[in-house]
Amino acid sequence: MKTSNLLGLNARTQEYSYRYNKAKGRRIASSKLYTKKTLAKSGIPVPESYAKFTKPRSILNFDWTALPGSFVIKPNTGLGGEGIIVVKKRARGREGWITTKKSFVTAPDFQLHVLDILEGAHSLRNEPGVAFVEEYIARHKAFRRYSYRGTPDIRVIVFNKVPVMAMLRLPTKESGGRANLHQGAIGVGIDIATGITTHAVYHGKYIKYKPGTKRKLHGIKIPFWTKILRTSVEAQQASALGFVSVDFLLHPEKGPMVLELNYQPGLQIQLANRAGLKKRLERVEDLVVRDADHGVNIAKALFMAHFADRVRAKEGVRTISTFEEIKIKGTKRGQRKKVIAKVDTGAWRTSISEGLARELGLLEPANVLWTKQVKSALGQEERPVIGLTFWMAGRKVITPASVAKRMALKYQVIIGRKNLKGFLVSPEVKK
Amino acid sequence: MKGFLLGLAFFFFFTPNALAQTMEPVATEEAEATLSGEPAAVPRQDFTRPTEETRGPLEEILYEQELGPVWPANPVKYAIRSSVAAGVPPNTIVLLLLLPVVAAIIAAARHTIGLRGFGIFLPAALSVVFLAVGPILGIGLFLLIVFVSTYARIILRRAKIKLQYLPRMALILWAVVVGVLLLLFLAPVINAPELTNVSIFPVLILVLLAEDFSKVQLGKSARTAVAQATETMILSLISYVFLTLETAQAFALTHPELLLLLVALFNLLIGKYVGLRFIEYWRFRKLIKS
Repeated sequence: MKTSNLLGLNARTQEYSYRYNKAKGRRIASSKLYTKKTLAKSGIPVPESYAKFTKPRSILNFDWTALPGSFVIKPNTGLGGEGIIVVKKRARGREGWITTKKSFVTAPDFQLHVLDILEGAHSLRNEPGVAFVEEYIARHKAFRRYSYRGTPDIRVIVFNKVPVMAMLRLPTKESGGRANLHQGAIGVGIDIATGITTHAVYHGKYIKYKPGTKRKLHGIKIPFWTKILRTSVEAQQASALGFVSVDFLLHPEKGPMVLELNYQPGLQIQLANRAGLKKRLERVEDLVVRDADHGVNIAKALFMAHFADRVRAKEGVRTISTFEEIKIKGTKRGQRKKVIAKVDTGAWRTSISEGLARELGLLEPANVLWTKQVKSALGQEERPVIGLTFWMAGRKVITPASVAKRMALKYQVIIGRKNLKGFLVSPEVKK
Repeated sequence: MKGFLLGLAFFFFFTPNALAQTMEPVATEEAEATLSGEPAAVPRQDFTRPTEETRGPLEEILYEQELGPVWPANPVKYAIRSSVAAGVPPNTIVLLLLLPVVAAIIAAARHTIGLRGFGIFLPAALSVVFLAVGPILGIGLFLLIVFVSTYARIILRRAKIKLQYLPRMALILWAVVVGVLLLLFLAPVINAPELTNVSIFPVLILVLLAEDFSKVQLGKSARTAVAQATETMILSLISYVFLTLETAQAFALTHPELLLLLVALFNLLIGKYVGLRFIEYWRFRKLIKS
């Protein structure tokens, strides 16, 4: 990979975090309560708040037993999961609670912790802080076997209304239930197009299995994937931040909830995805994105991981012929159409004839990713580029495809080099 | 910025000052009282304090230079001469002129190499601490302070003594002071001349560093805290070596205008650098290779 594809800390801060994020958005992101308030106003699901403490007086008479059995105490500011107590249940037979770290705590412990927060132990420059209590979100069953005690979170980086990169963060024993990579959590890259995990990074090194087990970390399917992507774009729009990472928790029943926004996301996500963030950011920088759905469609078409990254490369390289039958997905539910496509290693991008695209409903505005200027015999022309999903030799491919008006109409689809990774093209023509 | 204020105070007190003067006899009396009979070891030259001689090496350099007209190239040089003539120690002027260079070195190390340290103030202040008490004693004192503050914290936790934040920090400072006092009381036993010469301000700066250290340790992890403290040490050692270079001192004194201008330009350049840091090439090496 070229180093110019990678985003470094200098470029992140200067070219993205500060250029695209206004002071108001940054203020929203640096306060967890303000984030929650802003997002909830736009109808984005966030964990429910039970109580908020701004003055030491309010804490003294607070009745902790009136809370549900499990809850989380947090400082309003504070990075990297600092100063958070996660209470899992009431202790049996004793006056107190059990935390996710399996230690026993009592109401005076909570009081002291909240007073610490108010005193500024977890805020920048020791300014007086604010503490709050919110709903505890249990682990979704999809992650039950992968994380240690704490709840894993999903981070999506959004830029210009397009989700550009995503990562699953799994707490380990070492990270003490916290989903922070610096504290020893595992980062697992997620394929934007399918929501399937790809590579895992632990302390800056690639690992295949969860440490100490034989449990594979790639190939995990994230539930509610499209909803997560759409919500991440909505959260970006609501917060007025141009370049932001949105952290999600998966509620076992209610689905994805936004936990936090961060306008200076860490860059390890590039390792976990084996992809450069800068290249992706530059790719979407100038696109005109209408709404969340449009942004998600663009992301899925642009950033699909290589097949070999998503699933084990056991089956190896597939051989296809120059004229290969493919199955195209239409916009109506369950609509599929089989056509013979021409595999053209001389073309870069895949293209589809206008007639076929219209027949399958692919020219609907939500599916048009962007338009491009084309010079032809008739002069300048605008042609749409659409999101196309098809199956070829048993593999699903999601890609941008240009719509061609005047093709030699023998083949309505031409598959370009861009989508031929992991395939061998046999020149023999089957009769 | 409390750090900045403390830094100002720090510089202020190293120049001839009533408080610094009153602090000194206490230390020497202590040393003499216990060292009776033995010849007192010669304390190391402390560059942050004005020299006793009527004309030090820096003044020699200053007066050797021949100056042209005041404007446009020499206003600062003339100002330095007249203030030195009026009694401002040239050491202080050189240190002040070199401090922006040290800050620029630290900023450049962050943005091109990736050495993080605890901000920019602490490494810079620490390099001056090294200058005042020597690098070996400086590192020794730092290790002692970190050790004591970390252990005080652990003991408080083990003993289940639960205190509010500020009293807890005050108690940790108490432990640090006891530790440093014990070290000072050891001075006659291990016969280290540097120890007798330690003033309060290097210790205060080191206590600040220890607080940052324990904050990172609590917030992130012990590993990050140790890494960051090591990087701070490396940065301040580099800065210390730079501050002791005689050529650098002489250059600051003879070309102050040029030095200030160059440092400002250098900062502007570094501030615009958006490429990868050296450490990032290492961190992403597997991506770059593939």
